[in-house]
Amino acid sequence: MAQRAMLEISSVSKSFGAAQVLSDVSLSVAPGEVVVVIGPSGSGKTTLLRCINLLEDYERGTIAVDGEPIGYRRQGNGRIRMSERGIAAARATIGIVFQSFNLFPHMTALQNITAAPMRVKGVPRARAEARARELLAMVGLSDKAAEYPVRLSGGQQQRVAIARALAMDPKIMLFDEVTSALDPELVGEVLGAMQQLAQGGMTMVVVTHEMSFARDIADRIVFIDGGVIVEQGKPDEILFSPRTDRVRAFLKRYNDRYRI
Amino acid sequence: MNNFNPLIHSFPYLLRGAGMTVLMAVTAAVPATILGVLLALLQVFGNRVLRAGVIAYLFLIRGIPLLVLLTFAYYLLPLTGIDLPPFWGVVLVIAFYYAAFMSEVFRAGILSLPQAQWDAARGLGMTRPLMLQIVILPQALRLAAPPYVSLCVSLVKATSLVSIVGLWELTMASREVVERTLAPFQVFIGAGAIYFCICYALALYGRHLERRVLHGH
Amino acid sequence: MPFDPNFIARLIPALLEGAEVTVELALLTIAICLVWGLIVALAQATRGPMGWLAGAYIQIVRNTPLLIQMYLVYFGFSMGGFGLSGFASGLLALCMQNGGYVAEIYRGGLQSVSPRQYEAGRALGMRRWTLYTTVILPQVVARIIPPMTNQSISIIKDTSQVAAIAVMEIMKISEVWVETSANTYDVFLGAALIYLGLTSTASLAGRLCERWFAFAQ
Repeated sequence: MAQRAMLEISSVSKSFGAAQVLSDVSLSVAPGEVVVVIGPSGSGKTTLLRCINLLEDYERGTIAVDGEPIGYRRQGNGRIRMSERGIAAARATIGIVFQSFNLFPHMTALQNITAAPMRVKGVPRARAEARARELLAMVGLSDKAAEYPVRLSGGQQQRVAIARALAMDPKIMLFDEVTSALDPELVGEVLGAMQQLAQGGMTMVVVTHEMSFARDIADRIVFIDGGVIVEQGKPDEILFSPRTDRVRAFLKRYNDRYRI
Repeated sequence: MNNFNPLIHSFPYLLRGAGMTVLMAVTAAVPATILGVLLALLQVFGNRVLRAGVIAYLFLIRGIPLLVLLTFAYYLLPLTGIDLPPFWGVVLVIAFYYAAFMSEVFRAGILSLPQAQWDAARGLGMTRPLMLQIVILPQALRLAAPPYVSLCVSLVKATSLVSIVGLWELTMASREVVERTLAPFQVFIGAGAIYFCICYALALYGRHLERRVLHGH
Repeated sequence: MPFDPNFIARLIPALLEGAEVTVELALLTIAICLVWGLIVALAQATRGPMGWLAGAYIQIVRNTPLLIQMYLVYFGFSMGGFGLSGFASGLLALCMQNGGYVAEIYRGGLQSVSPRQYEAGRALGMRRWTLYTTVILPQVVARIIPPMTNQSISIIKDTSQVAAIAVMEIMKISEVWVETSANTYDVFLGAALIYLGLTSTASLAGRLCERWFAFAQ
């Protein structure tokens, strides 16, 4: 039988006022799998990602990481909300990297990476700093440990953000359009770091509109539109022979614009 | 009127008054700041009842002159049976008054942080107390520092009001000297100059902080 | 804490008389400062001795307490033979200090108008006078309404300090009534309520102005 899913999203629904942003979405991600989520803007893909670690709340459904529920525990026919402390603890097992880097500007790169492990998980300073330097080396920024974010380029900041998320030893990494805010020439270094992670066996959910990257890195591509998963499958299937018209239309618009 | 001797002879006395002014200001500023941070946090994170309470407090304090509050504290406090030395009485009133203004400055600082900072901290699994301690407040207070220093300047000037209810500090000292020497022009200019030195130095520090805030670290 | 209706009935008219003086003082100050502050702001914008003088003026009045400025005017002038009344001295001191603050408000307003507005006006062939009166100043006026509202509230509260030079406005009258009756509580309540009424009215007026100007924009 297949091993336990690393991420299990079960029938999640979210509305924002009158608009239904997510409708009964279910998704299962296996350990080590890289799932890329694509879709038009406003489709709900970013919202879905943010629901996973409860940065956004949702009215129905439950989500579990490696079997552990996050946010809501199933109870009978319904669900109950976990305590704030429980939610914070669960969030520590999920790494997330945002579009707008969000490094803490009043801390150096090294401090950004060591802050959470030291203060949330109680890791002693020496071990936290050693691990931080390892991670900085992995993303190619060893020489920037003592720099403040204001002195780093966008691509460098984003790589530090990745290292910061990895420092918590997460079971799964979420990426929310992490290259959208970058100048084109800086995109490559971030995608390289993500490629490294994928090859290392990290379970990843990536929201992006870099289609060629999606093709390179994804084990599975999921297309979301109007808050619903319209189609999912292997990259080549989705990108070159999609079954639904909506996906075809989306890709055509994309191809016309980017000529990939 | 061109004879500044009265001022020169009484300058040491005025300086002692200035010492008391600074003492009062510092003694009032500390509780004012602490209460200000507390009120700001209550307004940002508190439930509806707490928030309403804070808003009511702010409305009252900001609509009533400090002199009125000082005067009536002076008359009312003995009646309630609380035995407080006058110095502490006025210092507390000044503290409560400025806490209201400081809380607005701190609140603006907290709210001006991009949502992204909250997201990043929560994403790393930080609980709210930890988030406030190492991510939110360090940044918010740095942002709030320039207007906060402005309020401190205002606080120093406000200590002059305690002379009206009979407490001794620089303004009271200068009035005493004027009564003695009948040279109001020279003496009040002298007192004004001392206030100016204290306040202008603070104001310059505030501008220095403002430049640091604008240009990052 | 007695709540004596007879006392209140006698107190209210007295306080309202004081309120008349307060309002008169405040409105005159605001009106004069709107003009004087603009003059100082424009002077400060020039380079050369006039600009420096204006800048020094602003720093001096902002960094010395209003009370010292009032005493200087009141006692200084009477010693010099001019003998200004309490009301006039208070008015002069209030205008002196708030002129500096209003000048800073104007400066902020002028700076906040984008240079592109000037470009656009000039590109349409406007000369300086037209440019300023039809394009720049209306925008400046709209932008300075919030800080001017705050400053007006501050002015209303500052009028309480003229009690120190024996002007019969709200604060002074309250003081007299407290000393001649034992009824501190009711007098405080009355004075506080009137001040709250005045400052709230000013706040409301400010918001109405804001809305009106947003429309006209």
